[in-house]
Amino acid sequence: MSLEPTLDALPIRAEGFWNGRGMRRFRRHKLAVFGAVTIILMTLACVIGPWLLPYSDTFIDIRQRFAPPFAGSHVLGTDPLGRDVLARLLMAGRISLAVGFCAMVLAMGIGIAVGVAAGFYEGVIGAALMRFVDAMLCFPTIFLLLAISALIQPSVPSIVMLIAMTSWMEVARVVEAQIRSLRTREFAQAAVAMGSSNMRIMVRELLPNAIAPIVVAATLNVAHAILAESYISFLGYGIQPPTPSWGNMLENAQSYLTSAPWLAIIPGAAITLAVTSFNFVGDGLRDALDPRMDLP
Amino acid sequence: MSGFLLQRLMQAILLLFIVSMIGFAILHLAPGGPMSQFAEGGDMTQADLDRIAEQLGLNRPLPVQYAEWLWRMLSGDWGRSYRDQQPVLHIIAGHLGPTLELMVSSTLLAMLIGAWIGIIGAVKRYSLFDSIATIGTMIALSIPTFWFGLVVIYVFSVGLGWLPSGNRFTIGDGSFLNRLHHLVGPCIVLALVSTAVWSRYMRSSMLDVINQDFVRTARAKGVPERRILMTHVLRNALLPMITITGLHVPSLLSGALVTETVFTWPGMGRLFLDSISYRDYPVVMGILMFTAVMVLLGSLLADLLYGVADPRIARSGR
Amino acid sequence: MTKNSDGSVTSAFPMPAIHRRDLLALGAGGLLAASGVGSARAQTKPAPPPPAKPTGQVVVGLSQEPTAFNPLMPGIEVDETVWMQIFNTLWVADPQGNLIPDLAVEIPSEANGGISEGGLAWKVKLRDGVTWHDGTPFTAEDVKYTLELIVAPGFKSRTRVGHALVKDIKVTGPREISWRMEKAYAPYLALLSNTYIVPKHILEKAADPNTAPFNGAPVGTGPFKWGTRTPGDNIQLVANEKFHGKGPYLERAVLKYVPDRTALYAQFRTGQVDLIIGTGIPANFYAEAVKLPGRKVVKIPSASLEILMPNLEHPVLKEKAVRQALYASINKQAIIDIIYYGLHIPTESFAPQESWAYNPNLPKQTYDLALANKILDDAGWKRSGSGTRMKNGVPLEFAVSTTTGAALREQCQQLMMQDWAQVGVKMTINNMPAAVIWGEFYTRSKFDSLIVGTAFRTVIDPDPAHRFGSDAIPAKSGAGANQMQWQNAEADKLMKAGQETFDQAKRKEIYFKLQELVREELPILPIYQYAPVEGYKEGLIGYEPNVNARQNTWNMGSWYWAR
Repeated sequence: MSLEPTLDALPIRAEGFWNGRGMRRFRRHKLAVFGAVTIILMTLACVIGPWLLPYSDTFIDIRQRFAPPFAGSHVLGTDPLGRDVLARLLMAGRISLAVGFCAMVLAMGIGIAVGVAAGFYEGVIGAALMRFVDAMLCFPTIFLLLAISALIQPSVPSIVMLIAMTSWMEVARVVEAQIRSLRTREFAQAAVAMGSSNMRIMVRELLPNAIAPIVVAATLNVAHAILAESYISFLGYGIQPPTPSWGNMLENAQSYLTSAPWLAIIPGAAITLAVTSFNFVGDGLRDALDPRMDLP
Repeated sequence: MSGFLLQRLMQAILLLFIVSMIGFAILHLAPGGPMSQFAEGGDMTQADLDRIAEQLGLNRPLPVQYAEWLWRMLSGDWGRSYRDQQPVLHIIAGHLGPTLELMVSSTLLAMLIGAWIGIIGAVKRYSLFDSIATIGTMIALSIPTFWFGLVVIYVFSVGLGWLPSGNRFTIGDGSFLNRLHHLVGPCIVLALVSTAVWSRYMRSSMLDVINQDFVRTARAKGVPERRILMTHVLRNALLPMITITGLHVPSLLSGALVTETVFTWPGMGRLFLDSISYRDYPVVMGILMFTAVMVLLGSLLADLLYGVADPRIARSGR
Repeated sequence: MTKNSDGSVTSAFPMPAIHRRDLLALGAGGLLAASGVGSARAQTKPAPPPPAKPTGQVVVGLSQEPTAFNPLMPGIEVDETVWMQIFNTLWVADPQGNLIPDLAVEIPSEANGGISEGGLAWKVKLRDGVTWHDGTPFTAEDVKYTLELIVAPGFKSRTRVGHALVKDIKVTGPREISWRMEKAYAPYLALLSNTYIVPKHILEKAADPNTAPFNGAPVGTGPFKWGTRTPGDNIQLVANEKFHGKGPYLERAVLKYVPDRTALYAQFRTGQVDLIIGTGIPANFYAEAVKLPGRKVVKIPSASLEILMPNLEHPVLKEKAVRQALYASINKQAIIDIIYYGLHIPTESFAPQESWAYNPNLPKQTYDLALANKILDDAGWKRSGSGTRMKNGVPLEFAVSTTTGAALREQCQQLMMQDWAQVGVKMTINNMPAAVIWGEFYTRSKFDSLIVGTAFRTVIDPDPAHRFGSDAIPAKSGAGANQMQWQNAEADKLMKAGQETFDQAKRKEIYFKLQELVREELPILPIYQYAPVEGYKEGLIGYEPNVNARQNTWNMGSWYWAR
């Protein structure tokens, strides 16, 4: 489970002179390419797939309930209401991938804003912001997710917000560290000397130079968000029916584990595949963009 | 050293204070409340519900409630559960054992297996084993824990019948073997992620050391490779690993909550889930504060040990 | 069981229609179920005699955790599993609805003089020779203390309904107590069957009864004594050998909490728990469970109803024709037979079918989309371009809410959605976590409509005044539990009359009329009466489902194992 920020950003340090750094890069590259291709294929399948299928994801045919996979016209079987699992899986993919992406954008937005501000305004503002970040990180992620989920009504936008609210802190830390080191550099000092406004310095000068870690964090964040969605659903606070998501397809899977195990296995495998792919890409990007980069 | 400790302590207290405000605000601003559990059945009237809410002090302004909670907390009184009227600390203590049992056993398992994978991976870099391990650990980090738990139950309990599907022990038995048998499933599930983390850190830590001067010197002197590994590399590579254990506390707590849910394990995670769904505010606040303390202790421990392991690390920065 | 003729409906509305063939296949569980009802008592052989002294233990599996042990303080149904063992009430209700004396020697009535002055004066004679678990004798002072504590200011008592009417409590002898009522209130007899008597000599010593140590280690007069508790896991009770009634025959009773119903069932299957009671075995395991060797699995009667609760102040749902059309287009049969595996019993009434006040002659609902369409057409709801009906610019649209994570209810919602879409009604789903939905959203009537499992009576008395009375609307008066905000003068009149008379024949007539009125006006859309599945290991003797008890551990004192 890579829900915790300390796990998302693993420092991969080892650099050797005799090594096959090229080898390592190549291998990581292969995995990253595999991840990217998988993501593209999954996205395409989720976008186009539902149009090609004979069944809609909400078509209830109660006589066909619990049809096993590969047995009849339902390729991946049917669920307790007789809906086509493949159709639901693909529609759910749309939702889950969209939730992952939107939550990432929101989390990055908050994280970058807080990180840049904290890194730029050293002193009281910076310290206050970073203590807030530290305090938020004192909550184990799932505990925080559960506590905040009490606040909201489960819907797609609110789940996106919920996930973003629990995953922006690590981004803020990364960005803050970058900005803090960048602002003492010559180009930043020069901009100050030229009388640029603070906002301009932050957005035009500092931020573009911190883009590498941000891109890596963003990729890993998508993986995190997809996982988080499944956890919230499993614990009963997820996206509500009839909208399918990979998480809520799993919600009741436990009670059908003996009689209809495919209901648990198929969406779980989809989540694992998607999250692994994003993690591969994030790892590869980290290597490609900045091999020396050392995330906290 | 003591100055550093004092500074960290002050910081921790400040953080706990902020944590308590965030937690309190989130909980009390949420719609619904502890009366909900009584309302659904329909045999308590609104007059009864309102009276009890008032008796619990839920109608007072939020800052007043917070101030009172904080004041009591400072004097060591964590409050009483709305559900069973027991002192919160007492309740947390009752659920702590099972959670620690799970966390400690899975950490030990993860250390052993993770270190092994990491060492082999570093020594035989880019071998087939290393490649499989790299891919495997990444997958392990991507699997939803609860889903992995379901698969374990499906395969080992439902399918093969080797493991019990939940619980900490059989009622009326409770022998060591019985407890161990029940621990296997949840322990493996919780250890999955930690194992992946450990092996990745171990591998990189090993590679760090392998390339250092003293190792190369030893190798040049003709010291057998195996001995180099055991005496020089391993010892130096293991030291920084200790810090990971400290930083891993929040992740373990989260993992424990999910694992406890899947395996009906009567620990703190289950307690938190139940307390949140009943809006048992004192208990939820108690657990949040308790986990925050554990997280802070973990990171303090990591910092201290890191300093011990490598005295060159300046105690600035973080 | 509601029968709908399949042919015509099937051709017009292919999706949700159920073929008879499928019913046979899918409803097999239902058939088995029918034969299973009541088999708990139909032991083939005469039961062996109980052991001479308490022996053995029973592990009762619960999917919720009992946490409140003071029986006068707020608790949920599962807490009663403990209260029933530790404490006693003046009288208890048996499965047939008769009150059986327990701490009292007889049930006060107008005939025996226990109730006089038209219901205003009450006198109760108490049993002799009862002792508390600590050896102190039980007296009328304990009863007086209990009744006074319930209404004591500052005490967090669960409910003061009925008790608030009691005044002038007098101990007229060590075994006799009397009091007066502010008004005649027939349901008080039933309320007392659920009012556990607590020990004065222990609680009066506590500085604050709300936080007394007693609340964590209760002392009562019941068949079992408090043993140990492992929070989040189990509670152990031990036999009270000095119990005044039958039994106990078991040396120990363990109440085991397993938070997940599926996991609980798995432990029942593997034998880790001896019984599942309360929320019971999940419907989808019923067919499998009845085949388990060495286990008896029974459908048990329950007084809870699953209903669709409309908010009668909602712009669309306030219209009777809309409610009637909605009711006609609920496919109850599919819901019960398929989603709930044929377990539950369709109902038209707010009263449980086991009650003496149940009116069996109410018109049967049929799943008839053509009828629903006609009602809506006649009421002036015209179909618009999008397919949703409109009237005076208002679309026929509303949300149905229920608890998140209730998988079978979610399936119900989706089935209803599809059915109602066919008659031009747009339904949306707006589910929330339990703590939110049953908070102000429910109690202050902020919902459009809800699916809720609830009861409309006062303990075992048929009186539903706190649910249907126009003075019992929490959103308006801050009292009662009439969350649908139903206001009906005729219903008010009937319920008042029903409370004031103790004559069962007269009350029956009154409640029959009330049920007809509710069926016509549809302030609630009844779907089914719960028939949860409980199960126990073969060889357990004495388990007896009781629709009039909150939990089927009501008679656990007389359980034992056949050897």
